[in-house]
Amino acid sequence: MVKSIIYTLTAVALCVALFVFVDIYLTKQFDEFEGALDTLYNKVENKSANREDGYAVREMWSDKKSKLHIFLPHNDISYVDYWLNETCGLIYNENYELALGKIEVLREIAKNLPDGYTLKLENLF
Amino acid sequence: MALIFIRTAIIFLTLLFIMRLMGKSQVGEMQPFEFVISLLIAELACIPMADTSIPLLYGIIAIVAIFIMHQIVWLLDLWFKPMKSVICGKPSVVINKNGIDEFQLKKNNLDVSDLIESMRVAGYFSLDDVYYGLYESNGSFSALENPDKESSSLSLLLIDGGKADKKNLAACGIGRETLESFLKEQNAKLKQVVAMTVNGDGRVYFQKRGEKYKILNMEVRGQW
Repeated sequence: MVKSIIYTLTAVALCVALFVFVDIYLTKQFDEFEGALDTLYNKVENKSANREDGYAVREMWSDKKSKLHIFLPHNDISYVDYWLNETCGLIYNENYELALGKIEVLREIAKNLPDGYTLKLENLF
Repeated sequence: MALIFIRTAIIFLTLLFIMRLMGKSQVGEMQPFEFVISLLIAELACIPMADTSIPLLYGIIAIVAIFIMHQIVWLLDLWFKPMKSVICGKPSVVINKNGIDEFQLKKNNLDVSDLIESMRVAGYFSLDDVYYGLYESNGSFSALENPDKESSSLSLLLIDGGKADKKNLAACGIGRETLESFLKEQNAKLKQVVAMTVNGDGRVYFQKRGEKYKILNMEVRGQW
């Protein structure tokens, strides 16, 4: 019985540690990504963004998403891929007005995606 | 992640509550919480396995949550005796020295035909073959055998909870009038009869609501 209690307590402790880690990790990753998107947004707004800026954000996202796949449903991550690739294409063609709209969507996704998986009453139901 | 854990715990507790409400007919020789676990584990293991868009960690967390819930239920069961009856239920004595306890049957969402079926599975073919019959908390049927059991042929249920079974009446060759005159002799109305069975020798088990059962005889024409 003592063994069973130890197993249970260990499982509870590991779960709590994992929950805290995942929460901190997701918030940090998406904060960084949001920061990069804000910078890109400002550059696009000033019409000073170039192909390299878009690619830099995409590279940053690619690096993050390989780890995020462990914690988030892959379909949610794919949405970011679609919008980011479209943004890069628009910046490449110097279509800044349309690119601004896409970045806006990306910023919204970056803000809301981790929120959808945090412990909140509305997420429970 | 914590979300998945809590959602799993909520579903576990809801299922456990519903299984307890459903009574013993739905449990099938498992404790309610064991049944809930077997229902959930299969599904939880399959979803992340088959759907590659869901991280494997989600399935693992849900299964670990089930393990923790199981351990908590088990410990509550062991340490706090009143919790045992809340979580697992109590055995229900459905046959006592007076005959069938209709209240206990209804409480477990069962009727007399279910009871007779359980008795047949246990090897008893007449309601008076046992002194006591009870449904355990896991849904299995246990009985204290009557050493003088006399059943020599299969009993057919003629009245179940105040309702006549036309098919069985026809099989026994008992007409409506014969049944009514039999009931009149016993000073009972159809609705007042908890159970009435008859075997091939015309041996009748008759129980009026609120009274002890009687063993009577009547003429039967059917052969079975």
